[in-house]
Amino acid sequence: MNQTVTIRRLATGVPGLDAILGGGLPEFSFNLISGPPGSGKTTLAHQIMFGLATPERPALFLTVLGEPPLKMLRYQQQFSFFDTARIGDAVRFVSLSDEMATGDFEQVLARITQEVRATSPALVFVDSFRAVLLDAARSGARSGDLHHFVQQLGVQLSAWQATTFLLGEYHSPTEDHPVFTVADGLLALRQSVHRNSMVRQIQVLKMRGQATSPGVHTFRITGAGIEVFPSAIVRDDSGNAADRSPSPARDGHRLAMGVPLLDAMLGGGLPSGFSLLVAGPSGSGKTLLATAFLAEGVRCGEPGVMVAFEQTPSQSLSPAIDDMVRAGTIGLINTRSMDLSMDEIVHHLIGMIRRMQARRVVIDSLSGFELAVAPTFREDFRESLFRMVAALSSLGVTVLVTSELEDRYTDLRFSPYGSAFLTDAIVVQRYIEINSGLARVMAVVKVRDSAHSSEIRQFTITAGRIVIGSPVRGYEGLLGGSPQHAPDRPHGTARGKEDLP
Amino acid sequence: MAMTDTGEDARRLAIRKTLHRSVGTGSGAAALPAAFLALWQQTARQLEPVIGARGVDVLFGRALHLTAQRFLWLPSTTHDNRTASLEVLQTCLAGRSAAEVSDVGETLLLTFTGLLAGMVGESLTGRLLGADWTAGESQEQEQPRRQA
Repeated sequence: MNQTVTIRRLATGVPGLDAILGGGLPEFSFNLISGPPGSGKTTLAHQIMFGLATPERPALFLTVLGEPPLKMLRYQQQFSFFDTARIGDAVRFVSLSDEMATGDFEQVLARITQEVRATSPALVFVDSFRAVLLDAARSGARSGDLHHFVQQLGVQLSAWQATTFLLGEYHSPTEDHPVFTVADGLLALRQSVHRNSMVRQIQVLKMRGQATSPGVHTFRITGAGIEVFPSAIVRDDSGNAADRSPSPARDGHRLAMGVPLLDAMLGGGLPSGFSLLVAGPSGSGKTLLATAFLAEGVRCGEPGVMVAFEQTPSQSLSPAIDDMVRAGTIGLINTRSMDLSMDEIVHHLIGMIRRMQARRVVIDSLSGFELAVAPTFREDFRESLFRMVAALSSLGVTVLVTSELEDRYTDLRFSPYGSAFLTDAIVVQRYIEINSGLARVMAVVKVRDSAHSSEIRQFTITAGRIVIGSPVRGYEGLLGGSPQHAPDRPHGTARGKEDLP
Repeated sequence: MAMTDTGEDARRLAIRKTLHRSVGTGSGAAALPAAFLALWQQTARQLEPVIGARGVDVLFGRALHLTAQRFLWLPSTTHDNRTASLEVLQTCLAGRSAAEVSDVGETLLLTFTGLLAGMVGESLTGRLLGADWTAGESQEQEQPRRQA
């Protein structure tokens, strides 16, 4: 007979929070929500409370010092989750400010006990708990009293079969205080300001009895409340055969690119589930190639999603993209925001991929992407890209990423981020000078585990379409910027693939 | 009578109904101050657990100040102590006519609840003040249907 207790997990109602908690909030747990002023503690607590409280599972919200109750009620009801109709039956607010004013620690505990006994709440919130401790310290309470108080409160609240939350302005979770030891769960909120952007972050430092999502996750506060964007996790390879099976999308099927001859250059199209980096200088035709890729998908019945990062309204999307968006055949995420986290973008992207059942994804471009990401995250941009590509790969979509490539002829680079290794395939576009004129060339640099052409082919943009022409023969040093006439020799083919006509 | 369309109308109606219940008709001016005091204490009791005694004191002090601007014979200064302020107010009301007492009492309560509604909204004010305050509104809203 199984005699182990089963801990019920409560769905908090805060989008993304249950995922990082490891499946929800353990019932009857004693949780600490810490963070500096303005980090969102009260908002998170209210959102959880209105998400969980019912007349059968009532909540008691005890306000201590700090934010006056009137102000708290005034501002919190601006959030859409704040349901006035539930106040009274499902949610009760109680102010402990009068008890706090007496400076009598035991009286505060007695009042909390009295309120909890009177209504048997299933959820208890104390805001702000830090104020309780500070006030007690100021009034000369011995540290032994404080420890005793915290432990008594923790024990009693747990014994009353209530899931409890203490909100505190702890700046560091490493502060030496017994409440950190007593608590079953520790949620640390913080906000960082860098230049003109502000980023909110949450970390589950502890949650007894369940595996939480490690690391720091970003969140945003809107009129609907808090939304957490769990970090994309790259799972370790366990070594199990089941884990090593290829993604269902990587079935050997190849996708047409929508640009005649490019499929042949790629060795028969882009393998399904692959990620392709299209690198080239400004105006070389990267977005046109990406548009053709999406349009071809639409033609084949494969919906797509485009993530665009235009920084000015003048950088409008092409009519072809507009038409597809209007027709609902592709989804568009277009942002000019400059304080996003990679996790937030990935969250929206994955949501749209699932809604659209998209098979093709375009990110145009990495340069715009980097600008859109809050400065705080730019240092980790490469690592974040890796996580994003891994997350998209796990969904089985085929991804095309464009990247601005500075036309430096002293070296041969495919990406300014050193991110070329992240993708399965690379197509590079360059300008070359021939006979005192600029010409565009394109080459397939890499297609993982596949033969492909190694030719450098000239291409033109005609009526908004990419038209690939013949290989550039008779020159050497094209990509080095100093082409010179050379005898016309047969071009090599990567992995023995035949040259194209 | 038109259906109430503002929170203030509903609160005014609730005050009148409650006083009518507690004082009854034809009781005269003598019973009114005590009735207002009782209604005020009931309101304070309802709110204190939620916004704290200090929160009630602050709102009451402001409401009394605003009411005194309209009734110049009221004390223009208020005590920090709510009990002391109420005692002064009661003394002032003792020699006044029923109409004056009724007017002051209603204005004070309306101002007080108006300040609360200005802070947290009419809807939440109704929830915090409890059934007696919302009963007036619902009864009033039912009236036109019965008439129709």
